Amino acid sequence: MRFLRPRVGAMLRSQPHRRRMLALALAALGLFLASHVQAENSAIRIGAPLPLTGALSPEGLKLQQGYELWKDVVNAAGGINVGGTKRLVEIVYYDYQSATPKAVQLAEKLATDDKVDFMFSPFGSGATKAASTVSERYGIPTIAPTASSAEVYDQGYKNLFGTFTDNSTLSEPMTDIAKAKAPKVQRIAILARNDLYPLALGQEFEKSGKKRGFEIVYFGKYAINTLDHASALTEIKGANPDWIVATGYINDMILIRKQMADLGAKAQVVTMINAPAYQEFIDATGPLAENVTSATWWHPAEHYQSKDAFGSTEHYTELFQNKFKSLPDFTNATGSASGVVLQMAIEKAGSTDRAKVREALAAGGFDTFFGPLSFNAAGQATSYVPPVFQIQRGKAVVIYPDAIKAGDLQLGVQ
Amino acid sequence: MRRALLLGGLAVLALALAALPFMSGNYLVRLATIAFMYVVLASSWNIIGGLAGYPSFASAAFFGLGAYGSAIVRAHAALPLAWCAGALTASLFALLIGPAILRLRGHYFAVASLVLAPVLRELVNGATDLTGGGMGLTLPGSTALSVDATARLYYAVMLAAAVGTVLFTILILSSRLGWALRCIEQNEDASTVLGVNTLTAKVAAFVASAAPAGLAGAIYATWIGYIDPTDVFDDLLSVKPIVMAFLGGVGTIAGPVFGAAIFVALEELVWRNVLNFHAGILGIIIVCLLVFIPGGLGSFRHAAARVRALASKQTNGTARVRSAA
Amino acid sequence: MLYVQVLVNGLLLGGLYACIAAGFSLVWGVLNVINILHGSFVVLGAYLAFFAYTALGIHPYLFAPIAALVLFGLGYAIQYTVVNRVIEAPVLVTMTATFGLALLLDNIMLVAFKADFRKINLVPPLGVVDVGKLVPGLNVVVPVDRLASMLFALLFVALLYLLLRRTAVGRAIVAVRMDRYAATLMGVDPTVIFALTFGIGAALAGAAGALLSPIFPISPLAATSYLGKAFVTCVLGGLGSVSGVLVGGLLLGVLESFGAIFLGPEHALTLSFSVLIIFLLFRPSGLMGKRGFV
Repeated sequence: MRFLRPRVGAMLRSQPHRRRMLALALAALGLFLASHVQAENSAIRIGAPLPLTGALSPEGLKLQQGYELWKDVVNAAGGINVGGTKRLVEIVYYDYQSATPKAVQLAEKLATDDKVDFMFSPFGSGATKAASTVSERYGIPTIAPTASSAEVYDQGYKNLFGTFTDNSTLSEPMTDIAKAKAPKVQRIAILARNDLYPLALGQEFEKSGKKRGFEIVYFGKYAINTLDHASALTEIKGANPDWIVATGYINDMILIRKQMADLGAKAQVVTMINAPAYQEFIDATGPLAENVTSATWWHPAEHYQSKDAFGSTEHYTELFQNKFKSLPDFTNATGSASGVVLQMAIEKAGSTDRAKVREALAAGGFDTFFGPLSFNAAGQATSYVPPVFQIQRGKAVVIYPDAIKAGDLQLGVQ
Repeated sequence: MRRALLLGGLAVLALALAALPFMSGNYLVRLATIAFMYVVLASSWNIIGGLAGYPSFASAAFFGLGAYGSAIVRAHAALPLAWCAGALTASLFALLIGPAILRLRGHYFAVASLVLAPVLRELVNGATDLTGGGMGLTLPGSTALSVDATARLYYAVMLAAAVGTVLFTILILSSRLGWALRCIEQNEDASTVLGVNTLTAKVAAFVASAAPAGLAGAIYATWIGYIDPTDVFDDLLSVKPIVMAFLGGVGTIAGPVFGAAIFVALEELVWRNVLNFHAGILGIIIVCLLVFIPGGLGSFRHAAARVRALASKQTNGTARVRSAA
Repeated sequence: MLYVQVLVNGLLLGGLYACIAAGFSLVWGVLNVINILHGSFVVLGAYLAFFAYTALGIHPYLFAPIAALVLFGLGYAIQYTVVNRVIEAPVLVTMTATFGLALLLDNIMLVAFKADFRKINLVPPLGVVDVGKLVPGLNVVVPVDRLASMLFALLFVALLYLLLRRTAVGRAIVAVRMDRYAATLMGVDPTVIFALTFGIGAALAGAAGALLSPIFPISPLAATSYLGKAFVTCVLGGLGSVSGVLVGGLLLGVLESFGAIFLGPEHALTLSFSVLIIFLLFRPSGLMGKRGFV
């Protein structure tokens, strides 16, 4: 049999076109290096890896709108005031294709290759946590626009500052309201997506509920990409809850709301997070959106007077509508807020020196259209109360905090 | 003469690879590290997919297992041990599942291997105590090293893994196992007649394919410092190595290496110049590649002929009969 | 009573799965091509139905045949121009080629329609049938839209069956499926038959997309989920038979429904994939598998 054995040398030589391949590889490398030349300018450069394609692209595009609006407003005013001289803002975007490893890779590219001065984190808690190692290693002050899970901030990093308050700040007020305004509500059913942020949020609701003496009659997790929730909802219906809490992303919420109606799973209070904050949810569920409650970090119904580039929540909303012909949602707003807070820190520091800006960020005390922003020792915002709202007659109506509420909790859903 | 040329070329390449981390920024070093990672994945896929001709989509499963294996061990042990643990986890899995699914052929094997990663992803997601579930795992960073030193360390380690995998493939190819795999690739039923124990050979190839992929996952996990199930069991990790192998030439030793390098460079190029249509262009490249140069860039001459033939006349490839898979 | 409802849920879901998988099974069975594009075809069908409903007010059930027609054209063109060129190549090549096409189509849809999730809200909604009112004591509800989509899908599958059994084209497809060489000798041009088959597969996907548009959120991102279900359905039911698709879909739906009850919703997917592997190992031809796709 030995004669059948192929010889390796022969195999290697059996490719007469190796040189051509090498040439091709070199040509590709050359092209790639050629596209690599970057222009020098005195603008403040901010790196922003975004999920512009793939599973998270809806959110990625929203964040980008938020960044762009802030950049336009700042640059229209001549730029950021750095110790007396105005410097324009430039945002370097990269698409990380909703893949966390790529986000980390791009954060590194922004740090070393593009030499950005500051960074905005990628979308969501998981990617923010993964990419935060890069900004920490290079000592780049980084604003995290969409990371709410406390686990993101537990690594003792000095450069990460998140605009979202902890998940529990969403569950606590909602549970308070239910306790106060719906005294008959006793039994809670929770259905959470088995994924970093939605699961943590579901667990916060469980904690908040138990703390106030509610009974948790169902706690279910569903897998990412679940196409059918009928079994879980049938069980929930059987458990006869007064309050149904569902967490996940917008597609999950649309499907769950539809199947709740299909199966007649009803409750006095239905809470879904975060989808109802998006107009798409109301469009896609139609009348079924009615009376669904939700909590979110920001809502256009708020009215903060601010000392930032926008002046007030109302003015922000107006500028956003002029530019994008739609109402801003919390993802748009946190994008703009990330820019605003960085700008205010630079102006306060009077310098773009990273250490000084980091200090200014840590000191906090920023009055923004998004709310007052200060960060705890870990770097997460703790300084404002996220509003609770309810869809009433096709519109999101704030029902908490009392200072800005435009309506009261309505019970029952279709 | 040719031998001298080859050796000379290899020497230059080795020198260039050794100099790169000291000559360029960390991003290029990172990109090169990723390219090496894909060399490992494409070459290791080549053992089962190219040599044995079994359409395996299991790379993502091996990679993810390697990543989790090393991440869990890393909490208690040193880096090299964690890497070994990753490779071992993937190999053991291949050894367990291989005898079952390698009885299947063609489409059926492809499908069975394709669902391994999603199943593992959900299992890992569910085993919260061990794996952190959807929260992912954060690995202890090597704080003792500077940024540049860390980048160079992983560059060197991934390069070593890539070279090791290529040497490993050469070793297999020149062994009895390599011969047996070639027989299986040609005609599995006939090779039984030649005295090849096909199942043993296939399982051996599957395990040999799993170990480097697991190692790549293990190194990746310690390198990035944070893993979660959707990242490391990503289906694209199964598909990309196959495309790379096709790009360079399936079943050859140099094919997957060049394929990986070219693919990473192409992807970077497309991605840089097209902000939100790069996946589409990647799709076009894949299709063109398969239609016009099915043998990979190694068979470039045939490709040119094929393009000419296509331009002149529609191909009429219907007279041939394909053996049923 | 819980279990009766869960069984009903499972059967309805299974009907939808059969609806998703029918075209995929046909293409796999006849062309021996695993068409990764299939999920994207379903999504495209759903988008067409969405725009037809919101812009022109055409009911998605009425639109389903139109979606089928459009997708037939697209499928025929794709097979004729691209897939036919690699159809003789091994599994991996055809599969990877359709994967590349899926990347392209998904990206086009992403750019054209954005990834925002949409859904058709039928006005008025079709509502639910409370079986308890018809049969006292049987406290089960049936959502009408799911039932209707399932029945329409069955109608399409029945049409496919008739097409394959009763027409010359159908017999040619079956002939090519059974023995391509012999069929060629009998004067059948496989290139055309392949393109027709691929087109019919795409048409079924388009119709399925339209039928599902009032039920599932629509987005390019849903393509892989649909594809996964089609895979499992085909393997469970067996390739190459209309009845196999139906049985496979129903089995998968019921399995997932009960799996979610007994193991928790997070394990429904794992369960269905595990069953798939078991089937591959012990009954690779599926429950109803046979050659000839009838």
